Amino acid sequence: MTALIELAGISKSFAGISVLRDISFDVCAGEVHALVGENGAGKSTLIKIMGGVHRADTGEIRVNGELMHFASPRASAASGIAVVHQELLLFPDLSVAENIFMGHAPRTGWGALDWPQMRRRARELLDRLQSHHIDVDARVGSLSVANRQRVEIARALSQDARVLIMDEPTASLVEEDVQQLLSIVRLLRDKGVGIVYVSHKLPEIFALADRVTVLRDGARVGTAPIGELDERKLVSMMVGRPIDQLFPKQATKIGAPLLELRDLGFGSVVRDVSLTLHAGEVLGIAGLIGSGRTELALTVFGITPATTGEILVDGKAVRIESPQQARDLGIAYVPEDRGLQGLVRPQSIQENISLTVLKSLATGTLIDHRKEEKLARDSIAKFGIRALGPRQIVRQLSGGNQQKVVLAKWLATEPRILIMDEPTRGIDVGAKSEIHALMSALAARGLGILMISSELPEVLGMSDRVLVMKNGTLVAEFDRAEASAEAVGAAMTLANNASNRSGEAA
Amino acid sequence: MSRYLVRHESILAILLVLALIVLSLQSDRFFTVDNLLNQGRLMAEVGLIALAMTFVIVSAGIDLSVGSILGLVAILLGVFWQNVGLPLPLAMMLGVFVGGLAGLFNGFIITRFRVPPLIATLATLALYRGLAEGISQARSVRGYPEWFFVLGQGEVLGVPTQLWIFLACAVIAAIVLGISTFGRATYASGANAVAARFSGIPVDRTILLIYTASGLISGLAAIIFVSRVSTTRSDMGTGLELDVITAVVLGGTSIFGGRGTIIGTMLGLALMQALKNGLALAGVKGDGTIVVIGLILIATIIISNLLRRESDG
Amino acid sequence: MAVAAAIQRRSAASRLVEAYGQELVVLGAIIALFVIVGTVNPRFLSENNLINIFSGNAYIAVAAIGMSLVIISGNIDVSVGSLIGVLATIAGTLAVQGYPIWVAWTVPVLVGMAINACVGALIAYFRIPSIVVTLGMLSILKGGLISITAGTWITGMPPEFFIAQARFFGIPAPVYFMVVLTVVMALWMRYAGLGRAIYAVGGNAEAARASGLYPERICVAAFAMHGFFAGIAALLFATQLQVIQSTVPPNLELTVITASVIGGVSILGGTGTVIGSTLAAILFACISSALVFLNVSAYWLRAVLGLLILATVLADMARRRRHRVAGRV
Repeated sequence: MTALIELAGISKSFAGISVLRDISFDVCAGEVHALVGENGAGKSTLIKIMGGVHRADTGEIRVNGELMHFASPRASAASGIAVVHQELLLFPDLSVAENIFMGHAPRTGWGALDWPQMRRRARELLDRLQSHHIDVDARVGSLSVANRQRVEIARALSQDARVLIMDEPTASLVEEDVQQLLSIVRLLRDKGVGIVYVSHKLPEIFALADRVTVLRDGARVGTAPIGELDERKLVSMMVGRPIDQLFPKQATKIGAPLLELRDLGFGSVVRDVSLTLHAGEVLGIAGLIGSGRTELALTVFGITPATTGEILVDGKAVRIESPQQARDLGIAYVPEDRGLQGLVRPQSIQENISLTVLKSLATGTLIDHRKEEKLARDSIAKFGIRALGPRQIVRQLSGGNQQKVVLAKWLATEPRILIMDEPTRGIDVGAKSEIHALMSALAARGLGILMISSELPEVLGMSDRVLVMKNGTLVAEFDRAEASAEAVGAAMTLANNASNRSGEAA
Repeated sequence: MSRYLVRHESILAILLVLALIVLSLQSDRFFTVDNLLNQGRLMAEVGLIALAMTFVIVSAGIDLSVGSILGLVAILLGVFWQNVGLPLPLAMMLGVFVGGLAGLFNGFIITRFRVPPLIATLATLALYRGLAEGISQARSVRGYPEWFFVLGQGEVLGVPTQLWIFLACAVIAAIVLGISTFGRATYASGANAVAARFSGIPVDRTILLIYTASGLISGLAAIIFVSRVSTTRSDMGTGLELDVITAVVLGGTSIFGGRGTIIGTMLGLALMQALKNGLALAGVKGDGTIVVIGLILIATIIISNLLRRESDG
Repeated sequence: MAVAAAIQRRSAASRLVEAYGQELVVLGAIIALFVIVGTVNPRFLSENNLINIFSGNAYIAVAAIGMSLVIISGNIDVSVGSLIGVLATIAGTLAVQGYPIWVAWTVPVLVGMAINACVGALIAYFRIPSIVVTLGMLSILKGGLISITAGTWITGMPPEFFIAQARFFGIPAPVYFMVVLTVVMALWMRYAGLGRAIYAVGGNAEAARASGLYPERICVAAFAMHGFFAGIAALLFATQLQVIQSTVPPNLELTVITASVIGGVSILGGTGTVIGSTLAAILFACISSALVFLNVSAYWLRAVLGLLILATVLADMARRRRHRVAGRV
């Protein structure tokens, strides 16, 4: 096999800080080469060097054996390298066809854009990806995340990409879409495209990859055929130490009911949800995206106040019309989208943590800065947040540490009911196990935790009970002992409208 | 963030000192107590509104309608007093109240209908000015009683009355924005409104209050304006919004929200007024001075941007 | 799959409404205005009045074309009113001083492009928000204009200079400018690579960079073109009367921005068309004229415009919200 793209001895530093050291990497035609490593290991920088966004300080890039110097994304694309970005770099107001051909649209004889040809070729490309249902004239902003990703893949193919770099393509996809994406990747591989696949999700890597390269702290730990690795070995390569258990929920004493929902509803997205959360319990909610899980959390938290049903806290009926009321009732919500909903990223750690408890830090209306700083210092110590100090800007922290700040700011309110929406999304393996350990400790202290997660292993490992949501309502309930991946997965996806919530499901 | 602000404010302070030195060398009339106090008098209206505008811009908004609210309140003051026949103090209070209502309406459109502030206040800029013109039908009101002019032309303890009002408002604004919970809510709403809301900050109420305050203070500025120039016309305060925004942005408040201080705004105001006055005294013709203000605005932002990029690495 | 495809591919009509909703609303408003005002006072529809409406305000529509480009690219320009004043003064001064007419016509356009290219460069390469740069430019241009002209009017231009007063086939020249430039630019925005690049940069600058476009150059180009249209607008403004005033109508920049926005250009960038902005400029002109024919005091004009802007914006917001609910998960 000859390498389509070959990197040798690549090093890169930013402002004197070394990010990549002597990296070698190659991709052959018709293979999936997975690139893994914790956040900050240097994966994104390596991708950006291949994509022509950054230039390596030292080292060589060869495409089909020919030495290349990529000065821009355009130069890299011209050599047949395309990147499907994690954040999906698309134009929401423009049509699908135009998104696919932006920057290299077909032209007519006198230089004008050839719209009919553009639409026809866009159709062909989407059809090649088995995406017959995507309308080439639709606004990209109106598509689902999974469909946008297909548009981005079509965009890569439109430039005759020989090498396709996919940066965490499944990070925001639900299980169903993940499977379809994986089959698209296999399809492309079989057509001879070389694929660089970056992901945190180990099952995908074992399902897909031919070879794996592990990066740690800017250096290459090793490259191995997938057959020589197992999950445990791969994780220890990534983290640099063995991790015994990823989901260490300890058994706790389940106490009195904290939160009860009775036939709770919001419009048509949340319907007739009844559940009880006890002290010391982790109640997992599984379901596909769009099944109403997050919407349920937003309703309990007062962002979208309930339109029907009632909420009981400590057995007393309450009205929750705003996040302020929810907070004052001892409810905390660690939201799904850390950057958008969880943190004010241009502000310091201190200002972020105090945001939920401003009133209690103030005398009258004026904030006591010493109290505020003390709170931040205590939180940094307690949660093991790796930061320069309370005044460091949150944006500069890694994903895992940002998530700890979100947790810290909500635990500062001393909640009794903690709702966690995708608590470990986009977080590397090490930080993930720290957050899971913290959840266990909180449950042991008597908090009730309502955990929403798209990662089945997390749901199964952490939950005392698992509820499954579908079409805005609860469709199944499992005890820890009965909850298996097959049973929960089936309840999430099967077209089963009858409610079978008595535990005998599966 | 705090380091950047200190940096921007120190650039401004240095510029201000330089300007004061150069200008006092140019004209011996510049650095006199009388002249400086008089400049304070001229600055008070723009200054008052700039205090509120700092809150508005920190909350990631903008209020283009302040000049029009000023014009509307000025006209209404005359109408309430002369045409309706209310006692002047009541007319003044009612005028300021209407200013507050106008601001509340801005805030309502922005929070309730999610109209971008630039567009919402662009519309009300036309609306409020139009109401002022329609109500006044180009008639001006004169002949206010003598006591009324204390506000705009009088002095208390040797300092112009409106300068006292301005300084009092500035101290309050600095405390509220700098160390109160409301100020923190303003910064958080400006930097990330969604996260602020998810943290239990009443974002909409904060924004609503800020625009209402902006309207109220524009109304107050209108009363002072009328008192200073002794007459009411419907074109009062035309283009004032751009002066105000220039002062605030010059003071280091980020136009994208989340960043800015009252001290910066005060420095920006002082620099603007010193340049206007000093250049006029040095013989630059009236409107040549605003050319310099434009240049200073662009130059200051370029310099502080470059310094910030360096410090970020 | 076939069923899904059929559902996805909606009818052409609904797509037209989605893509040109705001333009259709403005067009509808113009037609409604003509019908209602024409019924109340038929003189409103007289040829003379129509010509006045169109030719007297064509320069605003032309300036709004450039403004639309700038706003679509994700920026804004609050200095365009003063720029038009400066360029008009340059044109008049050159004509009075005896330079050939073509010089008096082309120099202002070139100067406009040069000034705005600099503005675009400051925004793109120094990363200063456009509203800040153009706020500074507003001061510079306005102050410069008044201190140079000292408030005097320019008179005594040669008769050939007054291009805006020329008529071809009975229709005043400004109307040709407005219509031709709008149509050309509408096509350009649809079929030229740079035109689409302006949409791309305004919609998602990061994605544009990743697509191999150069957002900085595109920003400079959009501003330079905006300068071109400001130059043409200045010529139409300078030559419509026998004198050139040293001041432009107050808040001209806001009128131009409003025309763009009411015409459907999103203030957030990335969407809109120049057809919409021209229609909105025409709508404004019609309303001013209609008030006269409805015997409403001219002093209420701005209040009516303000209400209208507000109503359009709120309607647009409602439409977008429906759109969002339908579109997003």
